[in-house]
Amino acid sequence: MSVPKLEQLSQSVVQGPSLATGAIPTRDWMDIPVKFKSGNYAYVAKKDKVEYLNSQSGLSFPNAREWSPEEDDWKLPDDWKDIILKGLAERLEKFRSLKIFMDCCVRCGACADKCHFFLGTGDPKNMPVLRAELLRSVYRNEFTLGGRILGRMAGAREMTVGVLKEWFMYSYQCTECRRCSIFCPYGIDTAEVTMMIRELLHLVGIGINWVLEPVSNSNRTGNHMGLQPHTFKDNVEFLVEDVESLTGVKPNISFNRKGAEILFITPSADVFAEPGLYTAMGYLLLFEAIGLDYTWSTYASEGGNFGLFTNNETMKKLNAKMYAEAERLGVKYILGGECGHMWRVVHQYMETMNGPADFLEKPVSPITGTVFENAASSKMVHISEFTADLIKHGKLKFDKSRNSHVKATFHDSCNPARAMGLIEEPRYILDHVVDWVEMPENTIREQTFCCGSGTGLNTDEIMDLRMRAGLPRANAVKYVHEKHGVNMLSCVCAIDRATLTSLNDYWTPGVGVCGVTELVANAIVQEGETRGELEEGLRTMVF
Amino acid sequence: MDLSEAFRFHGDKIVNRWVEYLLSTYKSSGFFIKEKDKFANPVGGNFREGLQKLFLLLTKGADPKEFHAPLEQIIAIRAVQEFTPGQALAPLNGVKHIVREAFTADKERKHLISELYDFEFSVDLAVIAAFDIYMQYRERLYEVRIAEIRSGNHILTDSKCPSRLLGKEDKTIIKTVNSI
Repeated sequence: MSVPKLEQLSQSVVQGPSLATGAIPTRDWMDIPVKFKSGNYAYVAKKDKVEYLNSQSGLSFPNAREWSPEEDDWKLPDDWKDIILKGLAERLEKFRSLKIFMDCCVRCGACADKCHFFLGTGDPKNMPVLRAELLRSVYRNEFTLGGRILGRMAGAREMTVGVLKEWFMYSYQCTECRRCSIFCPYGIDTAEVTMMIRELLHLVGIGINWVLEPVSNSNRTGNHMGLQPHTFKDNVEFLVEDVESLTGVKPNISFNRKGAEILFITPSADVFAEPGLYTAMGYLLLFEAIGLDYTWSTYASEGGNFGLFTNNETMKKLNAKMYAEAERLGVKYILGGECGHMWRVVHQYMETMNGPADFLEKPVSPITGTVFENAASSKMVHISEFTADLIKHGKLKFDKSRNSHVKATFHDSCNPARAMGLIEEPRYILDHVVDWVEMPENTIREQTFCCGSGTGLNTDEIMDLRMRAGLPRANAVKYVHEKHGVNMLSCVCAIDRATLTSLNDYWTPGVGVCGVTELVANAIVQEGETRGELEEGLRTMVF
Repeated sequence: MDLSEAFRFHGDKIVNRWVEYLLSTYKSSGFFIKEKDKFANPVGGNFREGLQKLFLLLTKGADPKEFHAPLEQIIAIRAVQEFTPGQALAPLNGVKHIVREAFTADKERKHLISELYDFEFSVDLAVIAAFDIYMQYRERLYEVRIAEIRSGNHILTDSKCPSRLLGKEDKTIIKTVNSI
């Protein structure tokens, strides 16, 4: 009696063949179409933003229009298929990596269960191997002999509108975090496959607003927020005032100062939104403590580069701005703040796109004399490397008890950890400034789990999706929260600071998010300070 | 041979079946069932842990308040996945059938089926609690969304540049003044 009832219960809770109650799926993945509904996709780019970008030199964003993924008709150009296939052919020619990634996958499945989107959704198309197959199947059909002859038997398929829609769905359910790539025995960078799919989609006018509007703002004013120079300057000056009222120390700052030794660039979110603001206050205090000769720029006022999430031309253009400004100001090198993907662009693509930056010098710490050989090519030093070096040489004085309100853990932000190998430096810093514990081994360092909302997915209309994608990260945070009483998740990425805040609010309320430099500045002891008991460090409200 | 002995005897098997049944609602459930590391497999790991705890509570007729912690471990996840509320919660009910199935197949314990009323009533209470928890998490999700909008993140995309807006207002004011 009970067994048939159980089956009936299954039937009542399962709609459609895809949720197959443990049975073998009745249809091949190629035959399961995507379905767009409110909440499972990010809003598409606004027409005026696409038009604006398309009018800019060096950029091409055709087919600006009003459209909705929920409609059958996506208002594609008549020759959309030719455009896509030609675009793919061009990219196969231009990017050797893409050609290799298309050819060399043996479908071993090592990556399959490493993706936070797969772990949070259980959707097989979120297995990195299958996400790449979405493109690879078309590649086989058009560019390989086996695919042409054997068709579906060789895993090849025709490029159709349905395939295009599938590309849109799943290339925006990937945060290009590259966790899968470290498990791939062939080193396939599946993030680059996602990047290529997104590039191809832009050729026919398919993109999301949360990526293209920041891109257009950055192109126009130099930062994601669209802040103009005076507003950016005002914001930093507000932070100077806050630092002064908290500590009695008034940091000296300058903007666009020619002849400064160092240009400092950080994500604009740090100077305008909580909790990044406290990290920016941290930079100000730290630089003041060591008397650094540096300048902010109101033009290179953004470290983030949403071009990385768009296409290589846009990435190149937005990255070039930072180096152009460094050259214009005549600084020796660039010091970069706590940003995630900026470092991926700088470390992996800058040299090819805009290098060599031979108008800058090999970075040397003016305080310790340390030569940053690792940054000899990019001419850009990470704030954590810089700070760790200061600590190593005893140039900073700390009172760890000033962070006694914090029990921290450290989230390795994907790009610094996997794209530039910044693993030990933040930990070395934390050891000196705060009481902290690690999360479980398979969720940190190179194996770190993404916040679930990177690559421009940090938008509120897909909150459910973001929460399930962030589950593997949150699950580990919850564990240390319950086991060790962790109340602060520190990280070195501005997107993390925004997205992990929402993630914690859902999964582990009571755990805050901060930048590592905020914790540094909380603990720093410097001359001339008149700070009282700051019970919450730089977050203390002073009236 | 009493009911509690029967639950102990079949406990692991029942929980395993229950976990697999719950996980079978995912398109690709093989990995979720197989991988036992909670951090490599947060969905499977949390469901297993949650159902193990819940089963013990259900069989000993615990206070329904105690159901909350293990239920949250499961429902918080189901609430943000692509299920209808019914789909999200119904597998909890499955344990009634799984228990009957296990007892039916066991000649020595088959007679205990008639004594399952209290256990099944506890399951009903757990499902009712699960509805409350489901709603609690959906509400939390909306609050998170509102908090994010208020935090200023939306300025990235949903607002015009403040200084540019000011320019427009200035122009309107100038226009108004001129017309007076």
